[in-house]
Parts: sequence; C-alpha cells; structure tokens
Amino acid sequence: MRSERAQRWGQLHLVTTPDQRHAEVLAMPRLGLGLGLRHVHFDHILSRWPTEVEWFEVISENFMFSHGRQRHILRQVAERYPVVMHGVSLSIGSTAPLDQDYLRALKTLAEQLQPAWISDHLCWTGVLGTNTHDLLPLPLTEESLAHCAARVRDVQDMLGRPIVLENPSTYLGFTGSTLSEPEFLTALTDQTGCGLLLDVNNCYVTCFNHGLDPVQYLETFPMASVVQMHLAGHTHRGTHIVDTHDRAVVDAVWELFRIAWQRTGRASTLLEWDGNIPSFDACAAELHKARLYMHGEPDLNVIAAPGRVEPDQLSTPIGFLVPEVMSTTRTA
Amino acid sequence: MTTRPAPPRSLPDLQTWLQQAVVGGGHSIGVAEINEQILPSATLTAAQCLAIYQRGYYARLLQCLEGQFRALRHALGDDLFRDFGVEYLRTYPSQSPTLSDLGARFSRWLSEHRPDLHAPEKEPWIDFMIDLARYEWAVYLFFDKPGHEGRPLATAQTPDAELVVQSTLELHRFAFPVAAYYHAVAAGESAPPIPAPQDSHLVIVRKHYQIGILQLTEPQHHFLSLMAQEVSVSDAIRALATDHGLTESDVRAAWSRWKGSWCESGLFGLHADRALSSAATRV
Repeated sequence: MRSERAQRWGQLHLVTTPDQRHAEVLAMPRLGLGLGLRHVHFDHILSRWPTEVEWFEVISENFMFSHGRQRHILRQVAERYPVVMHGVSLSIGSTAPLDQDYLRALKTLAEQLQPAWISDHLCWTGVLGTNTHDLLPLPLTEESLAHCAARVRDVQDMLGRPIVLENPSTYLGFTGSTLSEPEFLTALTDQTGCGLLLDVNNCYVTCFNHGLDPVQYLETFPMASVVQMHLAGHTHRGTHIVDTHDRAVVDAVWELFRIAWQRTGRASTLLEWDGNIPSFDACAAELHKARLYMHGEPDLNVIAAPGRVEPDQLSTPIGFLVPEVMSTTRTA
Repeated sequence: MTTRPAPPRSLPDLQTWLQQAVVGGGHSIGVAEINEQILPSATLTAAQCLAIYQRGYYARLLQCLEGQFRALRHALGDDLFRDFGVEYLRTYPSQSPTLSDLGARFSRWLSEHRPDLHAPEKEPWIDFMIDLARYEWAVYLFFDKPGHEGRPLATAQTPDAELVVQSTLELHRFAFPVAAYYHAVAAGESAPPIPAPQDSHLVIVRKHYQIGILQLTEPQHHFLSLMAQEVSVSDAIRALATDHGLTESDVRAAWSRWKGSWCESGLFGLHADRALSSAATRV
C-alpha cells in the first residue's frame, strides 16, 4: 500500500500518479545478469554475439550525441539483447534548471533503443552552467527531498516513463543532513513512484566512508522499488574507500549482494568495470560469480572484515567514456 | 574589521559553495568554513573528505582530455600537457552533458595562452602544437559526426556528371605536416621529431565508419573545395585551369589520375542520391 501522501500528490498534481509510476516499476522485467557495454569489447561482441551475458547497460551520454561507429554498434547490440540506458549527467539533484535539450536527446535515444528502463544517480553534477562530470553528493534534507521529488516528477512526465535512480558512492556527509540515504530514497520513491538501482558496491563504499553498517543500510532500503543492482570493484585506502570500478568485486560486497538478491526478488544484476578493463570473457566470468551468492545466509564476518589496503586510484573513472579514435584512422 | 558572512545553508548556496570548493581546489576556503558544512568521518577530517572530490575533479577530466589529444600529449610531454590541461579546464570548464565536447576549445585556449603571446616573434614549435590540437580535434569530431554510411558511394566507373563530394568530408589546411606526426604517434613511434613548417592540405573522409586522411596538393585541395561548393567536375576542371595557369587538357589528365583513388577512398557520393536526400529532408 502506498502512502496517503503519495496518493494526494497524484490527485492534486500529476497526470500519472506515483502509484501508477510504481506499478510501471513493478512491471519492469527481470533481465538476469548483464554487463556494462564498453568500447574495448565491441569487436568481441560483434564477432561472437556472446550468450553468457543476458543484457547490456549503456552509458546514455556516450550514445545520445553519437552518429558514428558507436551508435551503429549500439543499434546492432540493441537488436540482439535487452538494453538499459544509464546516465551520468541528468543531475537530478542540481538547483540549476533541468537541461531540456539533454532530456530531449535522452528521450530520442530511448525511442530508438526501447530500453527496459532509464537510470541515473541520486546526485548533482554542477550548477551555474558547469558540468563537473562528477557525481556530487546531496545534503539529505527535507529541502533536497522536495527539490528532487519535483524534478523526478518533471523528468518522468517528460520521458513518459518512470526513471530509476542509483545510490551513489559518497566521500563526504553534510552537517545539515537530517535523513539517512535509505530514508531519503524511501520518501523519494513514495512521492514519485520512481524505481531504484541499488548499487551494492556503493552501499559498501558509502557505509564504510560514513561509519555506517551496510547490513542495516540494506535492511532499511526500499527494496520494493529496486529494479536493478550494480556490482563493481573498489579501492580500499585504509582511511576510506574509493569507488574505482577497476577490479574484481570483493567478498564483502558479494555477501551484501546475497542479501540484496533475495530481498529484491532477483533484481536484474549488472557488473560495471570501467578502469583496467579486462577481456570480455574475464568480465563475464566475474559477472557469473553472482550465481554463487544468490542463495543461503550471508556471512556477516566477511562483510565486517577489514579490506586490503591498496594504492590510491581515481574515483568513478570516466576515461573509458572517450572512444579510441586514433586506431580507426588511416592515411592514404 | 569585517564581519564574516553567514555560512551558506540553502541548497542552491550549498551547491555553489561545494562546486567552487571542488573546482577551485579549495584554496580560498578555510578549515572552519569547511567544518561548518561537511562532517568529518571516523578517520578523515572534513577537509580530507572534501579533498577526495578536489583531487578527482582535474585528474578525471585530464584522463579524458589525454584520450582526446593523444598526439598532442605525446608532443608536449606528460607534464606540460597536464599543466596546460588544468589551466584549460580552469578557463573553460565543461558546460556540456557529454565528455565528447571536453576538448572543443583546447586549441583556442592554446592560441590565447601561448607562452610567446606577447613576444614580437612567434616560436614555430608552439604554432605546431596549436595546429596539431586543431587537427586532432577535427579527427576526433569526425569519428562521431553524422555520416554517409548506408548511402551509395561513387566508383571509378561513375560518370563525372554523377559525382558529388560525399556528406562526411572535410577539407583542411595546416601550416605543419600534422597528419604525418599524428600517424607516427599512432604507429607507435616513440619520438617522432617536431616537424618544420610546411603547408599541408588534407581531406578527411569517413567510409564504413573508418576515418581516412588524404594528403593533397594545393591544386587538388582547390579542386575538391570547388566540388564541395557543388561545382560540377567539368566546371571545376575549367576553374582549376584558369586559377593555376594550366590548360584544361592538363587538368583533365590529372583528374583522370586522381579519380580512381579518390573514389576508392570514398570521397564521392552520387548526385541523384543527394537530390533524393535533400528532398527527403525538405519533406
């Protein structure tokens, strides 16, 4: 049962109510095990059409403005696999106006690809005309909540579908925050009917960085709205953890995945690998480790165990978003 | 003595403050101000938490810029490229939702901030770097622009009257042989020499999503420029002969040599196809 508040929103403000959006979220398919589509794997995918990956997630901004080889390959991939569009520049939490040109381009790509859903992050990327291309944290307050909820409703109305938002990795908290992230997301889904992308690695990273219990985080997370999960590797710096997407998933995150898989009712699961990207087969093998963690009881000792400290790396790498142009250029 | 302004608290103020702290590196922000807004963690101070975002901002964007200007980075060396890159990003922070636009103003920035800007004589190596940045960005843009793929290309047997330059073709002039340097880097040469000034005429074309670079002579560049302005082959031959003091038969003989390889490289589409395409666009 959705809250009275959500129903009031529907009656007073929206053509499509949060309940209706939530019903659309509940109807989203269970896609199985997927992989982030990366251009270093294009040739492998085009030559083999591998079956060990059931679906692909594409970075929306990499294709929204592309009219070349990348878009051509994506069309072929989308003909053979379910795809999901995952964005990094929606900036849903920004106090800058929503970028209508961006939303139109996003919608156009969605009309062409027919993705199972469109996702982005609970974050903001810039104000005053600047895009930092980083997933900056929001103060978790009633003010931010009202601001985000209004923008989520606007975006959903514009796109004509619910959006799916991901919990980001964060490295700082605000003195003014009054809500936990699960509380914030619960209220946000309640007020908008949006779906959620539960990044299990981000849960681990954020909880470590803020001294929180990741199991408790999952217990309070609004699982009924989760349509997708992310898995990824990170870099433990001892004093904090950086979300680097450049290595295998650690055991503690796999144990958290075991909890999340059961509580979300088998939400579509995707591996992100964005730095030091290994071969397609190696990524697929890492993805398929998920099958070992779908059943049974979580080992809480593994979750609580200290991580191995590694050298510093960049958070949320974006270098992989730049296509390799030099190798496709020839002189005559 | 001035009164310290109240710390920002509203969401717009907080976001403006945090963005300035991240992009500006926090040089003008005191620890007390940071502590007013940001919580320490169990192991890091509030300033150290903020520093994770500050360190990442330039490092992540530089990684992208390096990907967009591989040859320029090679020519400048890592340290100078990074110094220029950071200053460029300070001057022209990204305003686009896509990283594909990140390097759009880099060659302009280099021109505006060249070390010899106020010197009476310009240093050739700086001109080369600016030219190389222009070339590299032109090629980068070419990779993703709308192309001719899916539409017919002319062959050597296509009658001249049917030939038009294809839609994904650009003509460029540079003051240095930038293409040769770029492709030496692409071929893995560790230290290709910085070239001396030399006029360079190029055509960039895309065929089946493969980018081709053709070195042209000045008359060839002129000839293709005319065709790009929708001048027919026969009229372009006449114009070239007049402009270069040649006979039409000389130019026609040259054209017969050029045509085969240019068609093979995918420089030409078909007049009838372009007419159809234009009509479809109007509809």
